[in-house]
Amino acid sequence: MSLLSLLSTAHAEVRQTSVWWLPRNVNMFGHEIDFLFYLILWLTGVTAVAVFSVMIYFLVKYRARPGVPAIHSHGNNALEVIWTTIPVFIFLALAIYGNEQWTQMRLRTPPADALPVAVVGEQFGWNVRYPGPDGKLAKMVASKVGKENPFGVDPADPDGIDDFTTYNDIVFPLNRPVRLYLSSKDVIHAFYVPEFRLYQDMVPGRVYDFVWLKAEATGNFQLACNQLCGQGHYKMFGKLSVVEESAYQAWVKSKTPAPTASIEKSNPVPVSLVNK
Amino acid sequence: MSTIAATHVGESLGHGHEEATGWKKYLWSLDHKIIGLQYLFTSLVFLLLGGALALLLRWQLAFPSTQVMANGDVGNPISLPFINPQFYNALFTMHATVMVFLVVMPLLIGAFGNYLIPLKIGAGDMAFPLINELSYWFFVASGFVMLAGFFVAGGAAAGGWTSYAPLSSVAAYNGTKMGQTLWAAGIFVNGLASIMGAFNYITTIVNMRAPGLGFFRLPLTVWALFITAFLLLLAVPVLSAAGAMLILDLNFGTSFFNPAQGGQPLLWQHLFWFFGHPEVYIMILPAMGMASDVLSIFSRKPVFGYKAMVFAMIAIGFLGFIVWGHHMFVSGMNLVLSAAFGVSTMVIAVPSAIKTFNWLGTLWGGSIHFTTAMLNALAFVAMFVIGGFSGIFMASTPVNIFVHHTYFIVAHFHYVLFGGSIFAIFASIYTWYPKMFGRMLDETLGKIHFALTFVFFNLCFFPMHNVGLGGMMRRIADPTAYEHLRSLQPINQFITFAAIGLGFSQLLFFWNFFRSLKHGKPAGKNPWHATTLEWTVASPPGHGNFASTPKVYRGAYDYSVPGYPRDYIMQNEPDAPDAPAAKSSVAKVPVG
Repeated sequence: MSLLSLLSTAHAEVRQTSVWWLPRNVNMFGHEIDFLFYLILWLTGVTAVAVFSVMIYFLVKYRARPGVPAIHSHGNNALEVIWTTIPVFIFLALAIYGNEQWTQMRLRTPPADALPVAVVGEQFGWNVRYPGPDGKLAKMVASKVGKENPFGVDPADPDGIDDFTTYNDIVFPLNRPVRLYLSSKDVIHAFYVPEFRLYQDMVPGRVYDFVWLKAEATGNFQLACNQLCGQGHYKMFGKLSVVEESAYQAWVKSKTPAPTASIEKSNPVPVSLVNK
Repeated sequence: MSTIAATHVGESLGHGHEEATGWKKYLWSLDHKIIGLQYLFTSLVFLLLGGALALLLRWQLAFPSTQVMANGDVGNPISLPFINPQFYNALFTMHATVMVFLVVMPLLIGAFGNYLIPLKIGAGDMAFPLINELSYWFFVASGFVMLAGFFVAGGAAAGGWTSYAPLSSVAAYNGTKMGQTLWAAGIFVNGLASIMGAFNYITTIVNMRAPGLGFFRLPLTVWALFITAFLLLLAVPVLSAAGAMLILDLNFGTSFFNPAQGGQPLLWQHLFWFFGHPEVYIMILPAMGMASDVLSIFSRKPVFGYKAMVFAMIAIGFLGFIVWGHHMFVSGMNLVLSAAFGVSTMVIAVPSAIKTFNWLGTLWGGSIHFTTAMLNALAFVAMFVIGGFSGIFMASTPVNIFVHHTYFIVAHFHYVLFGGSIFAIFASIYTWYPKMFGRMLDETLGKIHFALTFVFFNLCFFPMHNVGLGGMMRRIADPTAYEHLRSLQPINQFITFAAIGLGFSQLLFFWNFFRSLKHGKPAGKNPWHATTLEWTVASPPGHGNFASTPKVYRGAYDYSVPGYPRDYIMQNEPDAPDAPAAKSSVAKVPVG
C-alpha cells in the first residue's frame, strides 16, 4: 500500500515558520493548556511592563541630585495590605482555574471507546502494544514488566492473544480518544510530544493509565524521551503519526499478533555500559 | 557550651582564641572574617570551574560532536570530539552541582553569612568558631570528592544534579557507579558543612546580638540568613540521608529506589525535592536580604515596609516546605496531591510579590546613587521579577504538562539563580569588598562588567524561554538529532555565543577583584555612609571586631532623617537631644 510506505518513511515535520514560538497544537487538551498559557502570559506580561515602567520612572525621577534629600519613610501599611491582597486573589484564581483544567485532563475517566495503547520505555527506545480486532489490551501488571515481558502481561490473557507490538513506532487514529498505559522496564523515561502539549513520566514498577488524548489533525511527529535516562537519552525518540481512521485500520491489518512480545529492535542505540 | 554567649563577648572580644598569623591564617583560622574570605575565594574558583563546564556544554549544544551532517559525516567540523553523550551528561550534572553546592550556597551563606553576621550584630565572632572552620574544610572536601568523579572509571556522575533513581541508583543503568557514588558522598559531606554552619548562625544570632539590638532592629541581611539557617537545618539532613541511601543502593545491595527489588523511584524524588525546594529559597533568601540592604544604602532611604519584608521571608520559609511536589506534577504521583501542591505553589508567589513591591517602595522618593553595587542590586530585582513570572507558568499544573523539562524551565531557574542570586552576590561584593579588604573596587571597570554581564545574561537566557516553548527538551546531548528541533538550531548557536560573551565578561570582574586588593582606593571605615554596625569599625576590622561591645539605639535604616545634619545615623549613635526627629524610625510617614 502506498499509504503504508508513506508512513514507514514519514519524517516528523521540520518547522519552517514561527521557530520562536509554540508548535501547532493537535491534541484536544492542548486548547485549554494554550489558553491558560496565554492567560498567564498576558497577566505576567502586563504586570511586568507595569513594574518595569514604575521602576524606570523611579530611577529617573529619584536619581541623586545635589540638594534634594531622600524622603524619610519606613513604609505604608495600607499599601502593604493592598499589594498583599490583590496577588492573593489573582494567584488563588489562577490555582483554582488551573486545577479545574487539571481535573479535566487527568482525573476524568477516559471515554469507554478510547483506544488503549501501551507504551513501555527502555534504555533507549519505546515498546508499543496495540489491541487487535477485539479492541482490548492484555492486562498489564507493573511488577511483571521486565526484560522478557516488556508489557508485564499474562500470555494466556484472552484479551492479549490478538495484541500486536511495534518498536519506536506509534500511530494514532484521527479524532478518536486514545488512552495510554505507560510504564518502564528500567529507569524513568518520559512521554513527550510538544504538539500534543503532553509530558508524562513513565516510572518503572508502575503503570500509569490516566493519560488520554484525542488527536485533532493528521501529521507526523516525534515522540521524545524527556527524562534523562542514560547516555543514549538524546537519541531516544520514536515516530508518532496521526492518520485517518481508515489508514489506521489498514495499518492494524498489516500487523501480526504477538501475545507476549519480546520485541525485535529496529534501531537499538549502541550502549557500552561499564562497571557491570 | 554555656560559655559561648554574651559573657564571653563582654570579657574578650577575641572570642577566646588568638589571632592566627602569616599564611597559616588563611588555612586554619577561627576568625569568622577569615573563614568568610576562605569561603569567598574558594567559591570564586569554583565559579570559574562551573562556568567553564557551562561553556563546554553550550558548545556541544551549538555544534554537537554527534551531529550527522548533510554529507553523512558525524560531528560538526568545529565540534569538540571529546564531548561524547555520556560526558555531556556529566557536564551538565556537574555544572549544576558545582553551581548550587560549591558556588551559590557557599558564596551567599558561607562567605557573606560568616563575614557579616557577627559584624552586623555587634559580636566578636561566631558562637562556635572551631565548628565554623571545620564547616569550611568539610565544604572544601565535598568539592574535591564531587570533582574527583571526573578522574575515575566511568567518569563523573551523569544523572543530572537531581540524580533521579533508579538511573542514579543502579550501576547497570548509569555506567558511572564510582562517579555517582562520589557525587552522593560529596553531597553528604557538603550537607554536614551546611548543617554545621546553620546551627552556628542560629545560635550566634539568637544569643550574641549587641545590647539594644532587638530582632526588629536587625538588618534584613541578618534576618534573611537567620531564616535561611533554619531552612538548611531542616532540609539539608533529608538530602544527606537520601545521599547515604543512594550510596547504599549503588554499592551495598540495598534497594531503596529500585522497583525491580521492591524499591520506590518516587521516594528519591520526594526526598530530593523535600530538600530541593527549600534549597531554592536557601539560594534566594540571603540574596533578597542583602539586595534589600544595598537598595536602601544607595537610595539613602529606609527599607520600605521593613516588617512586611521580614514576615514575607518568614512566610517563604514556611511555605517553602510544602511546595516540593510542584517538581513532581508529571511524575505520576497522586493526582489530587498535585492539585494541592499547585495551590501552595501559587500562594508562595505572594510573599515574593510583596518583596518586589517593597523594593520599588524603597526606590520611591529616594536619592538614588547608581554605583556598581546599586546597578547589580537593581538588576537583581528586575531579573527576579522575570524569573518569578516564568515560575507562574510552571506552577499552573496544566501548563506544566507542556513546559515541564523543556528549556523554558532552564530559562526560569537561571533567571532566578543567575539573574537573582548572582547579581545580588555581585552587588554584595561591591558593597562589602571595601569592608573586607580596606580598598574600593574600581567603579569604571565595575560598571563595564555590569553592563556586559546584564546584556549577555539576557541574550543568553531569554531565548531559552523560546526554544523551550518550541519543544526543546533539557539534558539532550544533541538537539539536531530531532527533526522538530533542527530549525531551532540557529537560536541554540546564538545562545552559545551569548554564553561565551557572558563567561568572558566575568574575567573583568576577576581582574578588578584581584587588582583592587593592592591598587584600590583606600576605603576608610564607612565609604557608603551606611548605618549598620560593621561600618563603625576599621576596614578590614581587627581580630575581635569591636574594641568594646557596641550598644545599639535604633533600627538598621535611619537614612535621610529630617532635621539631622547628615543623611544617615549609625545604629550605635544615641539620640542626640537636639535631634528629636531621629526617633522617627518608628513613625510611619504617609505616602504621597
